Amino acid sequence: MPAIETTDLTKSYGDATALADLSLSVPEGELFGLLGPNGSGKTTTIEILTGQREPTSGSARVLGEDPVGDPLAVRESVGILPEREDPPSFLTPREYLQFVGDVRDLPDVDDRIDTWADRLGFRDTLDTLSTDLSEGERQRVMLAQTFVHEPDLVFIDEPLVNLDPIMQAEVKDHLREYCDRGNTLFLSTHFLEVAEQLCTGVAILRDGRLVAERDPRELGPDERLLDYFREEVADADGERRQQQTELAAEPTERDA
Amino acid sequence: MSGVSAGSLLGRMIREEYRLHSELFGDRFAAFPLLVAALSGAGFWLLTLTDVGVGAVAAGLHGLVFFFGLQVGSIGLVGRDALRDVLGDVTLLVFSARTLPVTWRRLLAVFLLKDLIYYSVLFLGPLAAGYAVFAVTAGVPVGDVGLLYLTTAATFAYGAGASLTAAGVATRSRIARLGLLAGVVAVTTATVAGRVDPVALSPLAFYESPSLATAAAGFGPVVVLSVLGPLTFRPADGGAARSSPDRYSRVRTLLSDDTGVATRSTLEVARSSGSVWKVLFSMGVLFGVTALALDQVTRATGVAAHAGIAFGTLLGLGAFTTYSWVTQFDSAEEYLRLPLSLSAAFAGKRTAFLALSVPAGLVYLLGSLLWLSPVQVAVGAVVFPLVAVYVFGVTAFVTGFAPNELLFDTPLFVAFGAALAAVAVPLVVAALAYTEAPTVAVGVSVGVSLLAAAVGVGLSNRAGRRWQRKLR
Repeated sequence: MPAIETTDLTKSYGDATALADLSLSVPEGELFGLLGPNGSGKTTTIEILTGQREPTSGSARVLGEDPVGDPLAVRESVGILPEREDPPSFLTPREYLQFVGDVRDLPDVDDRIDTWADRLGFRDTLDTLSTDLSEGERQRVMLAQTFVHEPDLVFIDEPLVNLDPIMQAEVKDHLREYCDRGNTLFLSTHFLEVAEQLCTGVAILRDGRLVAERDPRELGPDERLLDYFREEVADADGERRQQQTELAAEPTERDA
Repeated sequence: MSGVSAGSLLGRMIREEYRLHSELFGDRFAAFPLLVAALSGAGFWLLTLTDVGVGAVAAGLHGLVFFFGLQVGSIGLVGRDALRDVLGDVTLLVFSARTLPVTWRRLLAVFLLKDLIYYSVLFLGPLAAGYAVFAVTAGVPVGDVGLLYLTTAATFAYGAGASLTAAGVATRSRIARLGLLAGVVAVTTATVAGRVDPVALSPLAFYESPSLATAAAGFGPVVVLSVLGPLTFRPADGGAARSSPDRYSRVRTLLSDDTGVATRSTLEVARSSGSVWKVLFSMGVLFGVTALALDQVTRATGVAAHAGIAFGTLLGLGAFTTYSWVTQFDSAEEYLRLPLSLSAAFAGKRTAFLALSVPAGLVYLLGSLLWLSPVQVAVGAVVFPLVAVYVFGVTAFVTGFAPNELLFDTPLFVAFGAALAAVAVPLVVAALAYTEAPTVAVGVSVGVSLLAAAVGVGLSNRAGRRWQRKLR
């Protein structure tokens, strides 16, 4: 059973289409990267897959659950790290993780907090208000809340933002180990080198449409994911312009 | 900036304040003074229909302006988180001592002066204009209207200086805060016992009887507090604030909180600017305004309203500010990412809301035992939490996690106001009718409050499903 499967997933806001007919299959154990320019539909995809938004049409299964019909079941079994999300300013990391533990009804919360504080290097600031932490320290706390319940599948929007180079290397190792244990990671990122180094499969979105899928490990020695990305996005733009030109050229009833 | 003059700083702060309000209310803010003049003119005209004396109106105006000053003086200091919530990251010039070579005291002194000038022009001027129409028609000399403008401006400074001084003393130490509380209790007790006349120590004394003696006694405290405020205020030091590792667990146990939402919200309010004191302060302002209004009604009409019902109603309605605070630090979207229904999140918010607002309101109701009968206070203690539950339900249902939307959405504001009026009006009428039909008035008040609370619980239970639908 794939960890994630979508069929013709579409999301519209009035006349604007944020996501159009997205059909994807992400196998278990995959470190999957969703790439695309700003506004291409990456965040909308994650929001639908985690039950935060309902699609206009189409369907999805996440770890066998329906994120539309039973969003809480999906959110119980996955971890979510949105982009630019800080821990609550007026709670300490320990208190925030205790809160997450309460919401998730986790046993042995204190042990888990100690484990993740050690692993991500924020034990010294466990009892400091988050408002007084650096951006990197806040990101570590957010990573901890994503993994503290040991989920089988994690959705992350920009995992390495605000981390120093040493911590970036450690987090990359952690994400690889996490997937080596059979877990699945669904990553959305602007940083193609991150996807190139980490991912075992990528999909490229453009204007809400899936324009390409690729395994970065199959790239040739002189190939870079950035070049591939540029080609696919340029092709998608060319096709769109072509369609617009054709539509404009079609005679309307009034013309006739 | 080290060489910046006070005048230059003042000009920039005034421009900043105007832009802040324009950002909040849009272009229509330019019409704000006209609106104040029109509303106050209409209000004073209505008062002429009830045979209220000009002197009583002037006294009431001074009282209202004093409480307005109290509120304005505190907002720049305790409301930074609120501003951030409404406008995103906001940095005002008054906070720039951290980054620029200008002292806190200087900034605060100019900040206070800016408030005085800004509100004197945009608010007190139009208020005096509205009053002028009413007063001159009633035979009051035009010169007295000018005097009223002067003394209300001083009264505004009195309120702003008082809250700045209170905030300043509170930043010193726990002992200083206890001393402040003791001082407030002592002054209140002395006033109630008739040993101190607060009017004699305010600009109103000079308005009522201009002389050198009343000028000294009336304006003296204004000057003292306006100087003390900037002198006593000390910003929190830059060290990282730490918390006890078991603080969360203790609060959670105290609140019997299953989901952690109530615990989290309570801690966030307690640790944000102004801490839980801002809840106490906002309730205090409402309590003071209600006490003043009751006094004016009695003086003007001879009707002795039921103070317990009036206090309970107004304190319950005023719990809206507590709703803003308990929903200020998170968002519905955050809960949509957690395995927790929005209904459970709202239930947690309600626990935090009641845990913060009810004790604060009860403090004032208990304080009113100094001059009210225990029966009156008991009725107020029944009405207040029930109305607060209603306010929570209406606010949660109408605004979700964003009560500030009321500021920007007129239809929403009208719907919200109508929902509150539906409960407030019968309660106020019952309070006024107490002398005529005491048993019925109390019965109606308790009945309306119980019904309102039931509706409030129903609305807050439905709020989760409603917002879940809207947001997804």
